[in-house]
Amino acid sequence: MFEFNIFAQDFLNISTVIPSTLALALLILLISIALGGVLAFIEQKRVFVLWKVSQLFRSFLRGTPLLVQLYLAFYCLPVVLQKAALLAYLPFNQNDFNPVYTVIVAYSVHFAVFQSEIIRGSFLSVGYGQIEAAQASGFSFFQTMRRIIIPQAIIEALPNFFNSYLSVIKSLSLAFLVGVVDILAKAKLESALNFRYLESYAAAATAYWLLCSIMTYILGIYEKLIRKRA
Amino acid sequence: MLALKNIRKSFNGTDVLKGISLKVNEGDVVTLIGPSGTGKTTLLRCVNFLEKPDEGEVQFSNFQLNYSHAKKKEILRLRRKSAMVFQQYHLFKNKTAIENVMEAQIVVQKKTKKEAYENSLELLNKVGLVEKKDYYPSQLSGGQQQRISIARALAIKPEILLFDEPTSALDPELVGEVLNVIDQIARTGATILLVTHEMSFAQSISTKVVFMDHGEIVEEGPPSQIFNHSNRLRTKEFLKHFTNNYQKTTSL
Repeated sequence: MFEFNIFAQDFLNISTVIPSTLALALLILLISIALGGVLAFIEQKRVFVLWKVSQLFRSFLRGTPLLVQLYLAFYCLPVVLQKAALLAYLPFNQNDFNPVYTVIVAYSVHFAVFQSEIIRGSFLSVGYGQIEAAQASGFSFFQTMRRIIIPQAIIEALPNFFNSYLSVIKSLSLAFLVGVVDILAKAKLESALNFRYLESYAAAATAYWLLCSIMTYILGIYEKLIRKRA
Repeated sequence: MLALKNIRKSFNGTDVLKGISLKVNEGDVVTLIGPSGTGKTTLLRCVNFLEKPDEGEVQFSNFQLNYSHAKKKEILRLRRKSAMVFQQYHLFKNKTAIENVMEAQIVVQKKTKKEAYENSLELLNKVGLVEKKDYYPSQLSGGQQQRISIARALAIKPEILLFDEPTSALDPELVGEVLNVIDQIARTGATILLVTHEMSFAQSISTKVVFMDHGEIVEEGPPSQIFNHSNRLRTKEFLKHFTNNYQKTTSL
C-alpha cells in the first residue's frame, strides 16, 4: 500500500529541483512577455507585412499542442543553429546542444502569443479618455506612456502574468520528454529506482499544488492592495 | 487671441464641420450651443488637435498654424498653451486628486515637486476640494471629479480653457457646484471656449454665444441678442424649449 516514508523521501528529493524549475519558468515568462510585447505592438499598429506574419504565427501556435511544438523545436533548432554556425564559421556541435535551450525557445514562443493578448488587453483597459486628457495637457507620446498608460497597464496585467507563470511551471512537466529535469521528471527518476510510482507521483502532485497555492496566496495579497486604490 | 479660419472636418464622408470661422478675444467667454450632433464638440476638439481637421487655419496667441500640415512640435506647442475639461472628466485613475493637478506641471512644465504641490493646493482650494486631495478619482463623486479636472486644466496656466459639455455627465444635484466653479473662473478674466447644453448658464456667463446647426454657425452675438432678440428662425426654434434651471449660489 501507500508508504508514507517513501512519499516523504520522494518529496524531499523533488524539492531539490524546485528552485531550478522556478528559475527556468521565470526566465521563460520574462522572455515570453518581451516577445509578447513586440507581437502586441505589431498587431496593434498593424505594422506592414509583419502584421500578417504574426497572425500566421499566432494561428499556428494556437492550433498545435505545446508538446508538438517542443518536439519540432527539439529536432529543428540544433540543426538550424548548426547550419547558421557553419555559415558564420563559429564552432558549434549540435550534439552538445543542451535541450534546456530548446525548452526555453519553444516555451517562450508558445507563451508569447498569450502574453501579447494580455498586454493588448491591459493597454486597452486604460481607456482612450485618459490618453486624450494627457495629450490635451501637452504630454508627448512617451510621457503619456510612461506616466499614465504603462503604470496602469502593469497593474492590470500583473495578475494575468502571474497566472501564466503558474501555467509555465505546470507545462514544464512536458520538458522531460526532451530530457530537461523538472518536478515531474524528478518524480519519474525517483520511482524508476524503487518502482513506487504512486508515492512519487503523489509527491510531485503535492509539490505542484503547494507551489501554486503559495503563489495564489501572494497574488491574493497583491490584488487586495490594488483594490484599495480602484 | 484665438482665431479659427475655415475649419472643415468630415467623418467617413459626412461633413461635420463645413468651414467654420470663429474668433475668441482675450478674456472672452464664448459659448457654443446648438442641437446634438451639430459638431460643437468636434469644433472644440479641433482647436487643440484631438481631432485633426481636414483643412483650416488657427491663429493662437502669437503663432499661426495650418491644420492640414501641422508638425508634431507645433501641435505640442498649441496644446501646452491650452487646456481642456472633458465631459467624462478623464482624470488619471492611478493618481490622487492632487497628483492629477500636479502631473502636467511636473511632466510638461518641469516644475519641482514642491512648487507643483503648493500650486496645486491653491487650485484645489479654489475648486473647494482641498480636503479630498489624497483621494483617488474612484473615491470621488462625478461633480468632485469634474472640479478636480478643472483644477488640472488651470494648473498649466493655459491661455485658453476649453470646456466640452462639463456638466452633461452629472446628475442635476451636482451640476450647480461645477457651474459655480466655471463661473468663478470666468470672473477672473480667463479666456474660455465652452460647449454646453445649460442654456441659462450660457446666457449668464457668456460674452458671446455661438449657435451652431448642421456643422455651420447660424448666428453669433452677445447673449441678449441670441436669447432674446434673435432674428433667425432656427435659433428661435431651438431656444423655445430651454428652461431656466441655473441659479447662481454664492457658496460652493
